[in-house]
This record gives sequence, structure tokens and C-alpha cells, in this order.
Amino acid sequence: MDAELTTKGQERRGRAAGLEENLQIGSSSKDALIRKLATPARSGNMGQCLRVLCEYVGASHHLLARYDLVQEEGLDFVVAADWPFDLVRRLESELATSYSQSTELEKCLAVLQPKYAILPDDAHVPVGTSRQYCTVTMNVGRTRLALILLFPQDYVLSPERLREVGLLSGYALSLSANKGHKSDRDFDLTDRELECLFWIAEGKTSDEIATILGISRNTINNYITSVMRKTATKTRSEAIAYAVRNNLV
Amino acid sequence: MATTTRPGGSILEDATWSGQRPVTSRSDIFPKLVSLQRSLNARGFAAFRITGASLPHKRRLDPEFENWSSGLSSGRDAFVAAYGDALLAHIETSTLPVLWSAEEKTSFLDASDFTPFAVQLPERLLSHSGIAFPVRLGAVGNGYVVFPTIGGADLPGEVILAVHSRCYKVMTDILSLDERRAAPSETLSEREIACLQLAGDGRISEEIAERLGLSVHTVNAYLGSATIKLDSVNRIQAIAKAIRLGYIT
Repeated sequence: MDAELTTKGQERRGRAAGLEENLQIGSSSKDALIRKLATPARSGNMGQCLRVLCEYVGASHHLLARYDLVQEEGLDFVVAADWPFDLVRRLESELATSYSQSTELEKCLAVLQPKYAILPDDAHVPVGTSRQYCTVTMNVGRTRLALILLFPQDYVLSPERLREVGLLSGYALSLSANKGHKSDRDFDLTDRELECLFWIAEGKTSDEIATILGISRNTINNYITSVMRKTATKTRSEAIAYAVRNNLV
Repeated sequence: MATTTRPGGSILEDATWSGQRPVTSRSDIFPKLVSLQRSLNARGFAAFRITGASLPHKRRLDPEFENWSSGLSSGRDAFVAAYGDALLAHIETSTLPVLWSAEEKTSFLDASDFTPFAVQLPERLLSHSGIAFPVRLGAVGNGYVVFPTIGGADLPGEVILAVHSRCYKVMTDILSLDERRAAPSETLSEREIACLQLAGDGRISEEIAERLGLSVHTVNAYLGSATIKLDSVNRIQAIAKAIRLGYIT
């Protein structure tokens, strides 16, 4: 009896130890990652954060882009990168195209889902780097970002780790005071103007909005004219479309 | 023994997640949330969607799925009343998980592994502690997945990270189900979509007619039928809906 009990006890211990080992392997790499990330994230050093994350996922180069700014002139969309400069320039138009070709809903459904694409034929990549690149998108507040990674040839990135890396880049950005370069281009619209836009998008007429907000219909029309001036749009429809596209309503 | 009861030991090999089977109905979501609740050792869960668009005083948290155990003395409404505003403000600038601790000092929730990537709400307002995971997808589908806990706990960082990643998946699944449900009874025709797109780009009916080689009356008829199919009261609301549903960009 005694002997039997002991064996069982040992077995159980053995199993528990095995489990512990498994957990430790799983936890140590992630815990170490979080510890490594804490200091640069606190000080807002995005470059260092991304280098740590690249190492974790096995990528060789990172480019963190303000996805919502890729369609504008210039390189303002780059938040942090250690890509070859020529490659960033070359990819700019590709990014703008892929951004404009997908709908808002598709973009929402694609958050944190790794997507692969091939670099253009004429792009020059560092030796040993795959011509494939991987994109993971995320949002911090109203800002949409894309983390674009280059990785060594014949290397397979883990989808689970890519999701974690996307999530952690979002965390790091949330902590850093400077959330991208141009954060507030939309906020030259006043609260009243946004309120009008909101009700128009719900299909209300100027008269109805006047009743809802308790101000005159002419004031409403003035707000809308002012919105159209600020957003450089020609018609009411276009102003609403602009507002919906830019997540203002 | 402590390690075997440590929450999260089983999360990564959980069968619910490993299969890539697409979610086809709302009943597929519930078990996923239950498995997350288990891995956090929580007493329940609630998945909230943020509704009310961009107007700060109109935004609120609407429960989509919940399993708020009756063992918790304060219900889900009490939670929303206590922390709803803080959570709505938080998700506007940050993706960091949010923790709260109960009134009683013996009940608390901490994430010492995870500092600085978790935000602790200062007020102790409820009889239970818990953790809320923000999910920000873009223009639609944003919300929180919330897990109330009982007693004192220090959540391991790797579990928080894994669960947050799954929460994104769940909220994306809920959004994709919604989208299928919200699809208009009759699908829009190519002509209707073309007219809506041009109207959203700021073209007036005359310009659209010229561009598509139609008469102005035909264009207006297309816009009218699209408005009915999209269950809208006027063409502006139809444009807003069409963008949100992904028919036009």
C-alpha cells in the first residue's frame, strides 16, 4: 500500500515538474521580452522597442508607419524605421495603393492579422533578406498604424508572435507621449461642427438638427459651410464622406 | 503546486483557438470567451461594443456577450456606471489593459510582471476586482472585453498578452458576424455603387450623369434606389452607410 502511494505521489510530482518546465519555457521568453521592452517604452524610445520586438519575432528590419498618412505627400508617415531609405521611398506608393484599395471595414477586420506581400521587382533589398515583407496593422486611439517587417530568406515568422508584436508595439506607442508626428490634423473642427456632421450622417436635415440642438437652421448651415471649407470639400455629401472615412463620425 | 493552478497554463494549446475554423454564428463566440475567463481564473466576462460614434457625451458601452456570475454582488450595470467613462476615455488614446481593484483591501488585481504595460484605475468602487482589455479596430467594432475576478491575484504577463490577443480575435469575429447580418436585403447594383462613389467624392448629379453617360434623372433614380436598399432616409446617410459597410471607399 505504502509503496503504491509513493509511486503515485512521485508520478504526480513528476508530471507537475514537467508542466512547470513547459510553463517556464513559455513564460521566460515572454517575461524577458516584457522586461526588455519596459525601459525603452517608458522613455518613449520607439526605435529600441521595435528592435527588441524584431529580435523576438525573428525579423531583420522594421518600419512603423502611420497608415492613415501614407496617402499624403512626404515621409511624415514614418514613425520609426531601420529600413534602407531607398526601400522606404520605393514602398511609399505601394502602401498608399494598398491603403486606398481596401475598405474601412476590411481594415477593421484585418487588425493584428499578419499579411504578406512581395517587394516590387526593382527594389533593392539587403543581402540575405527575403523579398517578402510582412505587415501587421493596429490602432492607437484614432491613429491607424502598420508595422512592416523584413526578415531573412527562408525564415518563417510565427503568426502568434506577430500578433503579440503588433499588440506590444501598440502598448509602447500608448505609453510614449509622442504618438506619431502629426496626430491632430482633424481636430481643427469644433465640437459643434462634429455634432452637426454626426447628425447629418444619420440622415437628419438642417431643420431637424436645428430642433435637436436647439439652434437656428441658419447656424447649422453655417457650421456645415465651415466644415466644407476646412476639409476642402465641395458638397455636403463629400463632407460627410470625408468625415466617415477619417473616423470623425 | 502553485504553478499548476497558475492561470493561463492551458491557454496556448486550447483546442478552441488552434482550429482555423471560421466563426459562422454568435454561438461560436461564447465558448471562446468562456475559455478566456478560465485562463484568467475570472468569475465572468462581458464583451462591450462602443456605440454612439464620435460624440463624447453620446458614446457608451453596450454589452454584446456576457456571463456576469450571480456570485458577484454588483452587476454589470454597476460596473459600467463605475468605470464606463474612464474606459471610454482610455481607449481614445491607449491600448493598454486596464485593471481595477475591489473596495476591500484583501481583494485586488495586480500585474507586477506586466508593468508598465497595464493601467491601474485608482478608484476602488466595486465589490470585485477585474481586468478590461481594450480592442480598437478602427471606425467600427471597437470595445472592451472585461473579466471580473474575486480575491487577490497577480496575473502573469504572458497570460495578459495572450488573452488580449484573443480578445482582438473575438471582437473581430463579432464584427464580421455583424457585417453579414447588416448586409442590405437586396445587394447594390454596380451602377448604384458607381453613383454613390462619385457622390461621396463630391460630384453633383449632373457631373455623375456626364461621367457615366446617363441622364440626371437616371442618376437620381439610382441614388434613390440605393438609399432605399441601404435603409436610409436620404442620400447623405446612404453614402455614410455605404462607406461604413465597405461598398465604396
